[in-house]
Amino acid sequence: MTEFEPNIIAFVCNWCTYTAADLAGTSRQSYPKNMRLVRVMCTGMVDSQYIIKAFMEGADGVLVSGCHPGDCHYINGNYKARRRMKMLKEILPLFGFEPQRLRLTWIGASDGIQFAETMRELTEQVRVLGPSQAKSGMVL
Amino acid sequence: MDKNGRAMVVGAGIAGIRAALELAETGHKVLLIDKSPHIGGILSQLDYQFPSDHCGMCRMLPMIDRDDSSQYCLRKGLFHENIEILLSTEIISIDGEPGNFSITLRRKSDWVDSQRCIGCGICVSVCPVDVSDEFNEGLSYRKAIYLPVPHAVPSPYTIDAKACTRCGACEAICPTHAISMSSQERKQFRILVVDDEMIVRSSLMEILDTEGYSAEMAESGQKALEKLAQQPYQLMLTDIKMPGMDGVELLQKAKSLYPDLPVVMMTAYATVETAVEAMKIGALEYLIKPFDTEAIIDKVFKVYEKFELVHARKEEVGAVILTGGTAFFDPKQDKNTYYYGLLPNVMTSLEFERIFSGTGPTQGNLVRLSDGKPIRKIAWLQCVGSRDIQINADFCSSVCCMFSIKEARIVKEKSNGSIETVLFYMDMRTDGKSFQRYRDQAESLHGIRFERAKVHSIAPDADAGDLMLRYTDISGKLHEETADMVVLAVGQRPSSAAKLAESVGIGLNSWGFVQTSPFSPSKTNRPGIFIGGSFSGLKDISESVIQASAAAFNASKTIQRATCNVQRAKTDAPLLQKPPRILVAVCVCGNKNPLLRGAGVCQELVKEWMSDPAVIVAEFTDQICSEQGEKSLAELVGKHKPDQVLIAACLPYVYGKRRRELSQRIGIDPLLTEVVDISSLSDSEMIRCAVGMGIEKLRRMEDLPIETLPVKQKALVVGGGIAGMTAALGIADHGFEVDLVEQGEKLGGNLLWLNSSIEGYSMQTLLEETLPKVEKHPLIHVHTQTRVVSSYGQAGDFITTIESKETGVQTIGHGVSILAVGGTEAIPTAYGYGKSSNIVTQKELEEKLRNKTLDPLKLGTVVMIQCVGSREEPRNYCSRVCCPTSLKHALYLKEQNPDIDIYVLYRDMMSCGFAEAYYTQARKSGVIFIQYDPSNKPEVKISGNEVRVIADEPIIGKKIEIAADLLVLAAGIVPNLSNSLTHAFGVSSDQDGFFQEADSKWRPTDSMTEGIFACGLAHSPRSVSESVATAEAAAQRALRILTKNQLSAGRVTAKVHHSLCSLCERCIEACPYEARMIDPEEEKVMVNPARCQGCGSCATVCPNGASYIQGFSRQQMLAVIDAAFI
Repeated sequence: MTEFEPNIIAFVCNWCTYTAADLAGTSRQSYPKNMRLVRVMCTGMVDSQYIIKAFMEGADGVLVSGCHPGDCHYINGNYKARRRMKMLKEILPLFGFEPQRLRLTWIGASDGIQFAETMRELTEQVRVLGPSQAKSGMVL
Repeated sequence: MDKNGRAMVVGAGIAGIRAALELAETGHKVLLIDKSPHIGGILSQLDYQFPSDHCGMCRMLPMIDRDDSSQYCLRKGLFHENIEILLSTEIISIDGEPGNFSITLRRKSDWVDSQRCIGCGICVSVCPVDVSDEFNEGLSYRKAIYLPVPHAVPSPYTIDAKACTRCGACEAICPTHAISMSSQERKQFRILVVDDEMIVRSSLMEILDTEGYSAEMAESGQKALEKLAQQPYQLMLTDIKMPGMDGVELLQKAKSLYPDLPVVMMTAYATVETAVEAMKIGALEYLIKPFDTEAIIDKVFKVYEKFELVHARKEEVGAVILTGGTAFFDPKQDKNTYYYGLLPNVMTSLEFERIFSGTGPTQGNLVRLSDGKPIRKIAWLQCVGSRDIQINADFCSSVCCMFSIKEARIVKEKSNGSIETVLFYMDMRTDGKSFQRYRDQAESLHGIRFERAKVHSIAPDADAGDLMLRYTDISGKLHEETADMVVLAVGQRPSSAAKLAESVGIGLNSWGFVQTSPFSPSKTNRPGIFIGGSFSGLKDISESVIQASAAAFNASKTIQRATCNVQRAKTDAPLLQKPPRILVAVCVCGNKNPLLRGAGVCQELVKEWMSDPAVIVAEFTDQICSEQGEKSLAELVGKHKPDQVLIAACLPYVYGKRRRELSQRIGIDPLLTEVVDISSLSDSEMIRCAVGMGIEKLRRMEDLPIETLPVKQKALVVGGGIAGMTAALGIADHGFEVDLVEQGEKLGGNLLWLNSSIEGYSMQTLLEETLPKVEKHPLIHVHTQTRVVSSYGQAGDFITTIESKETGVQTIGHGVSILAVGGTEAIPTAYGYGKSSNIVTQKELEEKLRNKTLDPLKLGTVVMIQCVGSREEPRNYCSRVCCPTSLKHALYLKEQNPDIDIYVLYRDMMSCGFAEAYYTQARKSGVIFIQYDPSNKPEVKISGNEVRVIADEPIIGKKIEIAADLLVLAAGIVPNLSNSLTHAFGVSSDQDGFFQEADSKWRPTDSMTEGIFACGLAHSPRSVSESVATAEAAAQRALRILTKNQLSAGRVTAKVHHSLCSLCERCIEACPYEARMIDPEEEKVMVNPARCQGCGSCATVCPNGASYIQGFSRQQMLAVIDAAFI
């Protein structure tokens, strides 16, 4: 049996983590295989709906990553994201998803290595959890 | 002659970027140059900045008309429609006058063609050279071909000409033929080596040959002259002692025939004097035998660099701003007490900054480079290379205290508090807004130890790599302490660009920093050339940024009449309601992308994409990032005429500017082009996915016209002190009307009572010069004894009601507001103030000295107490001016009457910057400084007319009692920014009542509400000259708006579907820019397009999906997510 390769989707902010992701790319850091990057202007614009939608469409793990606290280009968008993700983690089990499948991190523009590491870590964590079961049986 | 409306900014550090952006935003064309191959200056090496302990540099980018500039991380790069950036470029000369400067530039040859380089990095893997990496402060190694800043675009790779051996390995392997070594150019550089000894000649030939030069030999002076006659040479190296014609004679003869020929004399030690003589008759340099290869290469390279001047470029500009930054003290110099460079774990603060950076040598892990051990204890040593008379550094570098506290806090944060930190200091100079609380928190919250002591020596400890610090505390007791790392907080030094400034006629001060005008710190003695940032010495980021804006303001004043506001014609794109027609172009990256190699993969993908009716064409092309690729893309677009373009390639950042150029060429809005990064994808399935996501995004992209707001090109300035008057004058001089509102009877503010600055410049003269200009200016309407009642509106369109007893209520329409309401001296509540006429404040003393009601000759003993009510709650901030004021008074009194005993009781002497010299001077003139602790304050006893001050003297360790004829209290500054005023303008004040800036470092004079600015004492405690700088900066910020007749929003802004909106107002609360409000008449939520920055907070809180961000709508995002998992 081939090893389970998790599908990961990352919502990254335009100012910090997207830059870090680019740096990771240009400095040839290895990424997990099935990673999809969605650039948003700010983590504060990541709607809970997007994350639930991603899980339902087949994501095994979701990363939301933006600027460090106090560093948000839009003053406080990352704090808003933090609140939203905390709430989501509470309600994810109700949809049948383990909260460990969702991660929120702060990755600054020069932290390319940290971005690659975070992606690898999340992939491993999700690999242990196995494929997301709920997506198949989920009907809203 | 007409003035030139273009400006040049020299130095692309943070101040240079700021100054360039300021001018670009007011419509001037700007040429921004830097001698290094990247922008960002020293800030590119610093990942963390006080007070957020992170970055935030991107907040400097334009907020209005933001689509004119890049909208991504500033560390990554910068572009703006009006800014041309030239890197690796230096100034040779500046000729001409304000309005018309002619500038000669030299650009180092570019061996890597940035148009062709795709950043693959293969060249690095074949380069045989290892040199220390200046980006990591020499803590790691790099190749001769390298990325100057790992995360910066454009010009990805660059070659270090000095280190490069010209082996050509990179040139051969480059897949896109982007590298062309300049060996050809070097071959044109002909060197004649003259020596009678064969061995010397041939060894020199070998060295020069390897370096790629054309070298020829001559064994005697006569032969040399023959050779010189045959063909031109660019350099001659000649021995001095030769049989027959000696070197000096050869030099004389050669020089008379070829006066421009550079000649380097070669000599043994014995004949150095002859060589020096030779230099007097025209030799360029001399080399001492036996040769040091490095020295030869270096000297020849210097001459070669000049030869390369054929690449000199002439530019015409109207004004010049020099933002050359600062250099740092090298502790290896001079006495080197701390074994820096010998003990590996003694490093400078800049080196340490690289240790905890993610792009540094340890990738941000706090380990010792010497042995890889985790760090357990770090000691910071302050004032290394500052405040040191022995090394001619009688100044305070102003930034190191905060720099070290920040580093210590980050260490604590990164190590979860496990690393022990201690700062050894003389005075902890927390003289800026919010600095003191930051320091207090460092101590109380983070557990950082502050030790007031000077470490006199460091020695290796018994444990390998550890360090033993020896120091004496303030009472003279000796201590020993170990640490496993020592960070030297190195002071600032004039940057190498100071020499350039001097060469163009700008004066330097006695320490070699640029000398600026007394009350306008961005002006120099040469009109039309201005100074920004820390180039004039000793400034932190926010002061540098303020001064850069002030320099931009002065430059703009010089050239403004020359430009008629360069404005782009904005085309209102037609509403796109047709079905989408997308062109998909996928880059195969020089056939390098292995995923696209397999037979049939591409066809299959194309087939699938084409099956989507929205995609009119999908093609694989090569190297879209190159000029050729761009051309073929443009051809594709021309052929198929799509409405949207999707590019799948690597390095999406490279496309920022290209997209714009492309869109101009093909007439497609940048919003309707999308770039997806496929460089790091692992299989063709993922490429399919990424392209699919891009298609979904474009499919649902709306193309709405850009909204604009008309601008009332008038300003309101509140407060008629020096800051308000400067701002008003500046704006009026640019040709805009200004209403200047002052609550008092007279204009002048604090200048009405101030005598002179510490440097001795008269405040009276400043007032007398400024006042008539303001009062007589045809565009300034002065309203004295008037107050602001209310203000309403948005950037470009404010309506303010003012009221005065004489004229009653009046309404003013204006486009910007500047708050310059100033500050006053606080009223002391301690030390017996008010109980004796012999106890006065600094202001009262200044007034007494001014109107001569106090005779210094009648004073025997004067005591001054610093920090009265300052730097402790509730006024826990340093007022910045009181320590220099006490020094000023003490020196004045001593000068008038050398017999006065003066005692200054202080907590930390805040004689920052060049004021330090006055502290030294005061101590020399016999003023006694006694340090006290806030937990053990001095006491004041009053009996009758007698005032006695009792304090602990820490050096002798005893209580002392001083009978004072005069007790002067340094009470500090409180702002005049009342609540009613902040409410009226909808701005906020910080916890001490000063103006709350939008961002303390990057937008220091802006409020969160666009169009409202602050300057002077209302902003923060500062000197008169610093107040002028903020006023000029605020005026420049205001001019960004005033010079436009309309403000345009960005493409990515919030919109409202009014039919879905239930007016719940959640979006209004969520908006961090106060860009949303309810229009009561229309009953609609309106978005102010000039304020909205497109962050999307409103869209996520909207329960009905009525709010959305153009380009990131919910439908779009959900479709993108869908596509991600198909």
